[in-house]
Amino acid sequence: MNFNDLFSFERLIENMPNVLAGLPVTLSIVVCAFFIGGLLGFGIAIIRIRHIKILEQLIIVYISFMRCTPLIVQLFVVYFGLPLLVGLVGIDINRWDKLIFVLIAYILNEAAFLSELIRSSILAVPAGQTEAAYSIGLSNIQTYFRIIIPQAGRIAIPGLSVQIINLFQGTSLAFLMGVLDMMGRASAIGVNTYHVIEAYLDVAIIFIIISICLERFFIYLNKKYSYSLIKGGY
Amino acid sequence: MLEIKNIKKSFGNKQVLKDVSLSVQTGEVIVILGPSGSGKTTLLRCINFLERADGGELTISDKTVNFTKVHKKDIFEIRQKTAFVFQNYNLFNNKTAIGNVMEGLVVARKIPKSKAAEIAKHHLDEMGLADKYDCFPSQLSGGQQQRVAIARALALNPDVILFDEPTSALDPELIGETLGIIKKIASAQNNTTIIIVTHEMSFAQGVAHKVVFMDDGFVVEEGSPDDIFLRPKKERTKQFLSRISPIEYNI
Ligand SMILES: Nc1ncnc2c1ncn2[C@@H]1O[C@H](COP(=O)(O)OP(=O)(O)OP(=O)(O)O)[C@@H](O)[C@H]1O
Ligand SMILES: [Mg+2]
Repeated sequence: MNFNDLFSFERLIENMPNVLAGLPVTLSIVVCAFFIGGLLGFGIAIIRIRHIKILEQLIIVYISFMRCTPLIVQLFVVYFGLPLLVGLVGIDINRWDKLIFVLIAYILNEAAFLSELIRSSILAVPAGQTEAAYSIGLSNIQTYFRIIIPQAGRIAIPGLSVQIINLFQGTSLAFLMGVLDMMGRASAIGVNTYHVIEAYLDVAIIFIIISICLERFFIYLNKKYSYSLIKGGY
Repeated sequence: MLEIKNIKKSFGNKQVLKDVSLSVQTGEVIVILGPSGSGKTTLLRCINFLERADGGELTISDKTVNFTKVHKKDIFEIRQKTAFVFQNYNLFNNKTAIGNVMEGLVVARKIPKSKAAEIAKHHLDEMGLADKYDCFPSQLSGGQQQRVAIARALALNPDVILFDEPTSALDPELIGETLGIIKKIASAQNNTTIIIVTHEMSFAQGVAHKVVFMDDGFVVEEGSPDDIFLRPKKERTKQFLSRISPIEYNI
């Protein structure tokens, strides 16, 4: 057995288009989980900040479940549990696309983590900012959207960067549910050709490139909105 | 015009304002003095509804509210008539100097942006900040930040401006210039009522029409600056003044 049987650059290149074809699936998981999860997370954060009874207690349980269990467990729980749960009220979702269950699991997971990030960022905005806004006659909602949220968003940027990169890499578990994302395609290539390494290396290369791009983007955002960090004029 | 009747405020079981009444004419400048913890800040915050008083009555110009039954609308109306200058400035960190001044004009008062910018520039110019319109608070010194905050308050053309120790967070060399600005405002405004909490005694003496001495949640004594500084009647006032500024007291 020579080295070429184990690894060849030709196969690395040949397999690339096939692996890349899974990228849209990976990205759609990231985008859905991040934005829908972010919206949900925002709602959850507000409920916790406002201490809305009962809902808050439920949310605390939900968040600790999401934080204390591995993502793969959550994927299985949604995949097998959700059909049972809605089956109780007579709805059959067994025929739904696997991807939908996967998306739901990622959205729920992301909502939990993002809600904590959003909550701590909102709470990190000094109370004096709210008071100043009230004192010039802004309403609660105006104060939230014009003063608090922009500043909280600024505070959240580094955390969001870590979160989205984790999420992006975390999507690689989806293939265990049979979703044909990049990992799914790589493992299929492995099964069909008995050459495993190249396809997975392709996946790694794509992950590295996109992670670096994401990181750069957040560094740029961080600079662009650095008004609260600039020190000068003294 | 501002009138407070029997205002009361407790935090938990600690009564901070026990029964404070105060009456200020339009255009008057009053200075509130008192030891730390006597309730000065709390009084100002109650006037602006940053704190909800437990009882009493507040009148500003033609608007009277009873603290025991206030509606959102009342709070909003009172806040439209008042402006607050904070000890630590509290400029909006996500807005430039001019953005800070325009915010209340555009969002709360619904003044068109171009007009609001004009008003904001005028007030920033008055504060000597003509070259700082586009600076964020983090790019300004403490003294400059406080001047933006003063411009933000003045731009709203309020009936009452509340200053809470406006210079106590500033470096000593900036205190004089900021006090000078406040003094200028105080002498220029004759339809705005000004209430200042300060520990700067000679400033108080120079600027005030009336001085109010508070201690332990009560107004102990009030009168003209000369009455309070030169001829205080109450033992508590004498004690406080002798401790804080023996020189002025001995004149
Ligand atoms: N939000 C609050 N919760 C509990 N206690 C408070 C609160 N705000 C103020 N107090 C208490 O009320 C009392 C009066 O406080 P206040 O800030 O009005 O005093 P002050 O006269 O402004 O003092 P200083 O000169 O130090 O600024 C203090 O004992 C303070 O601890
Ligand atoms: Mg105070």
